[in-house]
Amino acid sequence: MKILEKSNLMEFLKNLSSKYELISPIKEINTKFQVINKSNFDRIFLDKITEAPAKSFFIPENEALLNFGKKISVKERKRIIFGLRNCDLNAIYILDKVMHDANYIEKRKNTILIGLYCENPDEYCFCKSMELEDSEKVSDLFFYSKGKKYFVSVNSEAGKEIVKNLKESSEKLKFKVKNEKELKNKGIKKHYKNSIWESDAAKCLSCSACTVYCPTCSCFNIEDKTEINFKEGERVRQQASCQLKSFSRVAGGKVFRDSRLARFKHFIYHKIVYFKDQHNKYMCVGCGRCLRACPTKIDWVNTINLLLEEENRRKK
Amino acid sequence: MSYDSEKYKITEAKEEIEGVKFLRVKCNLNPAPGQFFQASIQGIGECPLAPCSYNKEYLEILVRNAGSLTGKICRLKKGDFIWIRGNYGKGFPLDNLERKNIILVAGGTGIAPVASFLDYIDKNIKKPGKILVYFGFRDEKHILVKKKLKKWSRKFRITICLDKKTEKNNYEEGFINQIIQKSRLKASNYLAFMCGPEVMMKNVTETLNNLGMKNNSIFWSMERRMECAMGNCGRCLIQDVYVCKDGPVFRYDKIKPKLDNEESSNKILIDGK
Repeated sequence: MKILEKSNLMEFLKNLSSKYELISPIKEINTKFQVINKSNFDRIFLDKITEAPAKSFFIPENEALLNFGKKISVKERKRIIFGLRNCDLNAIYILDKVMHDANYIEKRKNTILIGLYCENPDEYCFCKSMELEDSEKVSDLFFYSKGKKYFVSVNSEAGKEIVKNLKESSEKLKFKVKNEKELKNKGIKKHYKNSIWESDAAKCLSCSACTVYCPTCSCFNIEDKTEINFKEGERVRQQASCQLKSFSRVAGGKVFRDSRLARFKHFIYHKIVYFKDQHNKYMCVGCGRCLRACPTKIDWVNTINLLLEEENRRKK
Repeated sequence: MSYDSEKYKITEAKEEIEGVKFLRVKCNLNPAPGQFFQASIQGIGECPLAPCSYNKEYLEILVRNAGSLTGKICRLKKGDFIWIRGNYGKGFPLDNLERKNIILVAGGTGIAPVASFLDYIDKNIKKPGKILVYFGFRDEKHILVKKKLKKWSRKFRITICLDKKTEKNNYEEGFINQIIQKSRLKASNYLAFMCGPEVMMKNVTETLNNLGMKNNSIFWSMERRMECAMGNCGRCLIQDVYVCKDGPVFRYDKIKPKLDNEESSNKILIDGK
């Protein structure tokens, strides 16, 4: 463990931003992760989970996979993402399992992750229910806040280098996450045809906000974009959403997940059931961003809880 | 994992029927029957295609003009280039096919993987069992790979089913399931492999079930929207299986519950949909 006085945090970050590209949560119209420079340094926001996740630094909304007719090679500066909460770190851990292409791996290797202990989960958070990995396993450095100090656990060589000037501490810390919300049980596999899902799907607008704000949603589209001379261009990966009809439309116009119910259930089941079967890990990290972002306030966590209550009642 | 594709030369290009182009590409990828590859033209896009024959030196492709990319592919000529990456997916099961009785069913452009499978049987199986082939098309004008069918018909029993007959000929009239039903075949000691529209495969499967075939001897080659072909983009998921990576060929008893689930929720329409 290393110690950093809270009053010295800004100076510490300023130092980092001179050597690395520093990315941190900031508060503008919404709260999000952004590259820190002189103009937004005073807007760094660490009080609460951000509304938008950090995924766009690994899977940008538009990203060239191939170039034809032109060659671009941009060497990115080594970068640091600061202020990742346990849910954010776990989301990156899940993306690592999904994405295997060179672009992603390069971005991932180029990035140092600095976590921050989440002191105040809100009414949407249910991370405790999602069997998350230990944040120290996923991050390079992890900041615990206690009193006027941050206690920093050092988890990698790259992290060690960053905090080599900080004082050592032998204190042992114990923290317990408090969640108001809870996903009580995940045994929903056999309830796929239950009509309870229809009440949620009836509220759904298919706006895809849940998938945009989800830190682990990474489905994409591949499209070619050309310059006006038709000789140069690139093959671009764009983020897509399973909540849109176009997602499963094939040549001839057939849409395989045609109803909102099918699309809505696909999102939930992919997070809780399918991914667990494949990777022995839930794809949901319990950050509650989908619930926060939903314009019609669909609470699928509550729906699952109701479903299991109903099941228990029947058993009796 | 890479999205790079190789450039290959087209050595033959002709219009197979109206709206469907036949291409031969010099390429040694040699996908197994049922496997597919991603064909692309730079600046326009990429799409999954299956070869319609089994050959080590070249790929033979049937492309139906269905959009901007396939439209462009249909306009390619001999000597032009096409970009290909592959092979992807799991094809038809090729083990223990000697002396096996096999039913092959395909509809429309779904003929490609099945024709490649038939080609494989023709070239590699020394002692084939009974091979019954049913190919369905709209009418006489829409029959694909006619020459090859003629060649194969000397060796295998090929039945061509047309939705509508407009001339006098020895093709059957009716849907494939109706023709199979009429033949009163004892299906229990056959294996069935099929590709085509899902409605067709469903009806044929039902008919074969009635004739005594179990779902674990039926193999479907499925179609879904694909972008990456590597189990990454999430678009071809049928519940928890990727068509590109775990398929496109599935044993029917394994995929049926998943299809049933999705269909059940597609049937429920909610107000204002």
